[in-house]
Amino acid sequence: MFRLALSSVRHSLGRYLATLVAIIAGVGFFTAVSVVSDGVIDSLEGNVDDQYGNVDVAVVADDGGSATNDVAANPLKVPQATVDELLDLDGVEAGAGVLTSPVAFAGDDGKPFATGTTGRLWVEDDELNPIDVTEGEAPLAPGQVAVDRGLADDEDLAVGDELPLLTLAGPQDVTIVGITEFGDSDAVDPGGTISISPDDAFDWLSSGTRQYDSYYLRVSGSPDDVVSAGSDVVPAGFDVQSGDEFRDDQRAATGGFANNLKIGLQGFAVLALLVGGFVIYNTFSVIVAQRLRELAVLAAIGATPKQLKRSLRAEGLVLGVLGSLLGVAAGYGLTLLLEAILQATGNSLPGGLSFSATNIVSGVLLGTIITLLSVMSPARKAGRTEPMEAMREAAVEPPRPRKVRALLAVVLLGLGLAGMLTSGSLAVVGASAVAVIASVFVGAPYLALIGAAVVRPLLQRRGIEGRLAVDNSVRNPRRTATTANALLVGVFLVTFVAVAGASLRDYVVDEVNDLQSADFMISTTGGVVDDDLVSQLDDVDGVEQVVAFQRQPVVIDGAASTASSGDLAALREVSGFDIDEGSLDDLAPGTIAVLDDGEGTPSVGDTVPVGSAEGETVDLEVVAVLVQGQDTLQTGALIAPETFTEIVGDAPPTIAFLALQDDVGDSRKDDIEDGIEAITDQRPDLTAMSGNLLGELIGTIMDFLIQAVTGLLLMSVVIALIGIVNTMSLSILERRRELGLLRIIGMTDKRVRRMVRLESVLISMLGTVSGLVLGLAVSLLMVISINLHSDLSLTPSVPVVQLVTILVVGVVLGVLAALLPARRSTRMEVLDAVSAG
Amino acid sequence: MSAPSAPTPIRAAAAGAVEARKTYGKGEAAVHALAGVSVAFPAHEFTAIMGPSGSGKSTLMQCVAGLDRLTSGQAFIGDVDISRLDKNQLTLLRRDRLGFIFQQYNLIPSLSARENILLPLTLAGTDPDPAWFDQVVHTVGLGDRLKNLPSQLSGGQQQRVAVARALVPRPDIVFADEPTGALDSRTGIEILGFMRRAVDDTGQTIVMVTHDPHAASYANRVLFLADGQIVDTMEAPTADRVLDRMKRFEG
Repeated sequence: MFRLALSSVRHSLGRYLATLVAIIAGVGFFTAVSVVSDGVIDSLEGNVDDQYGNVDVAVVADDGGSATNDVAANPLKVPQATVDELLDLDGVEAGAGVLTSPVAFAGDDGKPFATGTTGRLWVEDDELNPIDVTEGEAPLAPGQVAVDRGLADDEDLAVGDELPLLTLAGPQDVTIVGITEFGDSDAVDPGGTISISPDDAFDWLSSGTRQYDSYYLRVSGSPDDVVSAGSDVVPAGFDVQSGDEFRDDQRAATGGFANNLKIGLQGFAVLALLVGGFVIYNTFSVIVAQRLRELAVLAAIGATPKQLKRSLRAEGLVLGVLGSLLGVAAGYGLTLLLEAILQATGNSLPGGLSFSATNIVSGVLLGTIITLLSVMSPARKAGRTEPMEAMREAAVEPPRPRKVRALLAVVLLGLGLAGMLTSGSLAVVGASAVAVIASVFVGAPYLALIGAAVVRPLLQRRGIEGRLAVDNSVRNPRRTATTANALLVGVFLVTFVAVAGASLRDYVVDEVNDLQSADFMISTTGGVVDDDLVSQLDDVDGVEQVVAFQRQPVVIDGAASTASSGDLAALREVSGFDIDEGSLDDLAPGTIAVLDDGEGTPSVGDTVPVGSAEGETVDLEVVAVLVQGQDTLQTGALIAPETFTEIVGDAPPTIAFLALQDDVGDSRKDDIEDGIEAITDQRPDLTAMSGNLLGELIGTIMDFLIQAVTGLLLMSVVIALIGIVNTMSLSILERRRELGLLRIIGMTDKRVRRMVRLESVLISMLGTVSGLVLGLAVSLLMVISINLHSDLSLTPSVPVVQLVTILVVGVVLGVLAALLPARRSTRMEVLDAVSAG
Repeated sequence: MSAPSAPTPIRAAAAGAVEARKTYGKGEAAVHALAGVSVAFPAHEFTAIMGPSGSGKSTLMQCVAGLDRLTSGQAFIGDVDISRLDKNQLTLLRRDRLGFIFQQYNLIPSLSARENILLPLTLAGTDPDPAWFDQVVHTVGLGDRLKNLPSQLSGGQQQRVAVARALVPRPDIVFADEPTGALDSRTGIEILGFMRRAVDDTGQTIVMVTHDPHAASYANRVLFLADGQIVDTMEAPTADRVLDRMKRFEG
């Protein structure tokens, strides 16, 4: 039987083409996604090795797992005194300090360019320095810098160029002495790297203080000895790690994200494959119907139902393996294409192409299994073929769908709806949603019939071809339904993500925006917000008040954290501090208002030790606990100025909150923003953030995610398109006699093609509209039941533009899907159509 | 769609062919389905085309009916040289001027009997003449079956629908290809009777391809084809005479 299957596949490869394409597309997508995410993971993890490969001991700020430090980008720094002690330890051979700060070049016109680049202290120890000089020499003397290859290419810079560099210490005349590279890529830093000589670095990147973001050691003996000796040397708030420990942490931080990404992407690829499964099921059903006579002859001459079934399954196996292998190849091809596109735009695929056995095997297995599962039911049908069918004259019209089916669909729908609206747990809500979706699948043939009944009067007015198109579309309601279902799944998911995603995004953005905040925030990385800057900002039309204050890294209760001080009364006026406990009015010298950081936050009345890398450690009484909000995340804990100076020394203000005049509208706000940015652009260390930036940022991220997911889901819609092409082609083949007759008695080719197109659009509309309605219904029901059963209150958000786009895409897909079948429908000779058989 | 400029010898005919050749293949392997046939089908008459398998009888009818193209020569419907028409013009010509009856009834399964009968008129966007429609339907005896779908009709009834579909638009000429081939003899006789009456009562022109001598006996005249050429003509045929003539091909 296997030989028969093989020859059957070879004989009618054309018929199987659509099936193959569906498998190839699904598996190819799966493979490409796996390869790309593996590459991303490898390169992120590889970067860790490139950058820190020779580090034996690392000294890093211990953030104690606190959330506050992620947002307040102002971690504790390693002071030079500590570094000196570390370098004196036994076995330490060399050390490397990391010190970075934003810089930019100034052009001839004084305008800054290459903004977003990072100035980086040049590390003199070759082994610890991850950056290689590939042209010129290292920046070792004052006034020398090296730029990375990418920056040099993008900005047309070369060794020997002399130009001003904008730094924390103002513009500095520098000479480019070298071009650098980092491992396989150009720069360590995303926006480009400018390496600065050790003589200049502390002045330009750290306002003259000799301190480091982190410090790495190379040792000759056992790193563990140095780790334990080092732990005694470093001040509170720092952690000394062995190189391995440190690299593991770094890898977890970078690779973990990529791993999640990979799982998510693969999920969508599997979804695409499942939609492909519908197409395969459909094709095989049609193939079985077409080969009825052949199967019946086989049955008549003695093939048992089991043999017939096995023969069909064997065909599925051949196709599944073949399609999956081709799919894996296509996946790699896709990756190559992506790489080529990226290279054309001056980028490169992270990690490059990696051939891994896991990806290849899982792609082939997945494709084959889904194909096999999809042919199960058609194979059973083939097994049931009666020898009598061989003698029957014309193909029998398929039966109307059975009543049981309708009943089942209605019951599922009822249960699902009831479950979603009345259940107490989210698990039941999920299961109910699945029931609603299943009901649509089961009832799909009826939907097809209802849909046809609805559009028939409409299309009848478009002439006899409209009428015939409707009739044909429901001649086999189950086949139409299966074809449309493939599209339905895709459209449902796109709609669901659009509606549920938009609702969730709006909710999150609203929540964030509800947190009160200052209208604008100016902060410096390593610089000072001086009186000059404050008065410049104050002069911007529309700015009501500018409050500059000191913000410094501190160690509270042993954990690295941030604290601020300054004119606390003015600060409270321009910002929105929410208080959990206690009162800010009690904030006197010797007291502190801490940030609510969940578990382990001190309570009002507690005494906590607060210190810094430089100053003394003082015990402070907690008088208030602040709610985490946009402003408190910037300030951290609040301390009265006198006490603050005691702890951190005489620190200059590094941050300012701005309040705008009350009556400014949105358009004026843009002008004010421009005014502020004109000032901050002059200094690369300054960052201006609009107060609701966090909300905007989160909105942007969510939008990106929604769009990325939608893009991936569109893949499954494309596979569904193949299904429509397939069904249309086969039904045209089946009806070639009818089509021939219509043409003989006077239907012009144009009208025949229009008829085929209309039928195709009908099928695609069935899938699109029911997918859209189902997606809308399920996501809105989800929102309602989430609101009912949890503390959240989501507002259902219906992205009308996207939904209309989906509808239009559905029609266009239908027309596209009909292109080939329509051409085929009139390419047959009229005579073949009537004289055959 | 314009008439050919040269005068033709068959102006009075409803259709015909001049030096019609149809060749399949090339060189040595060439098969001449039609080897230079000139023929005229007179208007208001019932012509039967007979011949052994492979004689070219179906090819001749198909080429004259605009379903197939000649390799050389001309085919006419009335005074229109259809070898000059493009595909679209041919389709419109068939719609407006020709009727067809096939061995397989070739009805559209989703349309009722009435809709099937009116299909050519629907395609043309013309309203049927109700009296004529009733007369045809009455003649072929379909009065109470008009609302049924083809699947609810017997083979004979389906062929009646097909005959009515060919006659209702009042075509210049009806082409029938083995119209009784799939029917039992009693039903076949009925169908042939309708066709004969259409010629006698309303002056319809019919060209029929058949291999059944009894069916041929309903025609005014029989053309015998062999090896792509007309070898004989018989006026006022009877079944026995046709059978005798056919036997001579086998001998």
